[in-house]
Amino acid sequence: MTDSVQPFEFNQCVSILKSTGSRAKNLVEMRRAISRIDEESIFHHVHQYFLKGHMLEYTNDFSQWAGESLEQRALAERLSCIDPYTFKTIDAVRNEIIREIDDFLSCSPEPGDVVKGNEFYFNQTVSLIFPVGVKTKNLAEFLVAIQHIDSGSIYYHFYDSRVRLGEGIVDDFSRWIEHTLFRKEIADRIRAIDPFMHSIESIRHHISEILEEYVRADMEGVVQ
Amino acid sequence: MIKEYSGIAPKSDLLLIQKLCDKLKGKSFVHVNSTREGGGVAEILHRMIPFLQEQGIDARWDVIEGDADFFDFTKKTHNALQGNREKFTKPMWDHYYEVNRRNRRNVDLKADCVLIHDPQPAPLIDFRPKSGRGRNNIWMWRCHIDISNPMPSLWSQLKKHVVKYDTAIFSVPKFAKSLPINEFIVTPSIDPLSDKNRDLSDEEIHAVGEKFNIPRDKKLILQVSRFDKFKDPIGVINAYKIVKKYNDCALILAGSPATDDPEGEAILNEVKEYAGNDPDIIILLLPPDNHKEINALQRMSDVILQKSIKEGFGLTVSEAMWKEKPVIGGAVGGIPLQIVHGVTGFVVYSPEGAAFRIRQYLNDPVMARTMGQQGKEFVRNNFLLTRQIRDYLAVWYCSANKGKHMIEL
Repeated sequence: MTDSVQPFEFNQCVSILKSTGSRAKNLVEMRRAISRIDEESIFHHVHQYFLKGHMLEYTNDFSQWAGESLEQRALAERLSCIDPYTFKTIDAVRNEIIREIDDFLSCSPEPGDVVKGNEFYFNQTVSLIFPVGVKTKNLAEFLVAIQHIDSGSIYYHFYDSRVRLGEGIVDDFSRWIEHTLFRKEIADRIRAIDPFMHSIESIRHHISEILEEYVRADMEGVVQ
Repeated sequence: MIKEYSGIAPKSDLLLIQKLCDKLKGKSFVHVNSTREGGGVAEILHRMIPFLQEQGIDARWDVIEGDADFFDFTKKTHNALQGNREKFTKPMWDHYYEVNRRNRRNVDLKADCVLIHDPQPAPLIDFRPKSGRGRNNIWMWRCHIDISNPMPSLWSQLKKHVVKYDTAIFSVPKFAKSLPINEFIVTPSIDPLSDKNRDLSDEEIHAVGEKFNIPRDKKLILQVSRFDKFKDPIGVINAYKIVKKYNDCALILAGSPATDDPEGEAILNEVKEYAGNDPDIIILLLPPDNHKEINALQRMSDVILQKSIKEGFGLTVSEAMWKEKPVIGGAVGGIPLQIVHGVTGFVVYSPEGAAFRIRQYLNDPVMARTMGQQGKEFVRNNFLLTRQIRDYLAVWYCSANKGKHMIEL
């Protein structure tokens, strides 16, 4: 029976960092640069934030800089609340960031320059995507793969897929579990993991926990 | 050689190296610099060239030759790129160009990819083939120097060569300039298999402790660096003196004499005088090739500092993190890229800050151990030699596929 199942093939994403040569030393320069910079740079500083592999105070590079370097916590909190997966295009994310900055500037004194060396440097990446040679056909195989696969694979399938599939909350893992293994309940539980509140390792841990519960139940013959 | 890194480096890095090498198999990749021995670039190339050859890349390493005037000039350009004021004359620039022109016959300018390291051989780009084999090859300029604040007139001269390349590569985003060519960021790396970083047995560590009379019954704080004011050895002693009021410990300052720095000896004497006759401050002057000794000192230490006030990249931080040691570093150069504050170590801005973090580590061994473990994983994923090899190949491949933001292999 498993022969007819479309396997889940794990890919890996490695991003090579590029500099745009642009930088900002205060909020006005930051706003101007954000309005002009390539989409790829916005994508890198917002969406690829999760590639870092560890959780910092805020949820994208712009909010992190606003909080830590510019020392404007209120702005950092507002920028942190922008959920990039709810926007259809990168330009819409860009406009939302600019709207928050304008809003902040209209009711707060303009912050000064950051300490020298703490300027914001606008980067972007070239992403190299390749299969890692791991395919799974059932939940138990999938669980083992999740436990051992490289973190770059988890990023690609859990975060990057939200933009690729254009469905916001849908990631590659839950999509395959729902549409190929027909286990909607498991898919829903994976979709309920808050992508902004975990490191990649923590995402791995949460998905493993959910899968383990169902694999054990399958083996014990418990009807879910 | 790739097998030696299996189980040490991330599997994905090794896999990507293999995939890129499959794509680039048989192509020639020439690295050009100005010295075969000494310095981090030569150290890495000694390992990287055979590694790439084994993967089917025709990798080579050419070294340009110059006279004393040439190297005197390039030493000055190095200093001026780091912000010092130097005097340059037209005859100096002419000689620099002429030495490169003469060297064009010693370098394979027709290789599929030519990677020029640092300013010394930068003018070789003028001799790139304009027709026949090699006219479509990729030329990349790799800058290992902190040029975030260069002497403006020097940079504008050098930039005339740099903009003729297909791609420039810098170590840290803040070192990059606004240029009309591709600019990639490739951080430096450590080799986990070198004497400086390989695992050591307890006996090897013990022997080094005996050799230097290190008190193993005390908590050890270590800084490994040249005796140079930018590494702030006096600030490190001040931090130690604060800690000592609360926690018994010893401080080791280990480094090579700065032979090319006229201030080096004065700084060393100042440090010795400042340390006074405290038997728990141990100052070790080690020859530059004492890699195993440095490795052992790092492994026997409880906290490792790199409290620089000016720094290039500061790879000693990654070396310490690779040994699972809790680290503290100054917020300069490439140190904040390695130390994610509160995750893989602490970044500090003063001797008082360093003292506070040392005390935190000494009094909370669980936190120190967790930070050390997180630090090692961070280095594994970001600062090993295999990642640098991966990046050079990827930058070459991306430069040949210019304009693409996503490449499927």
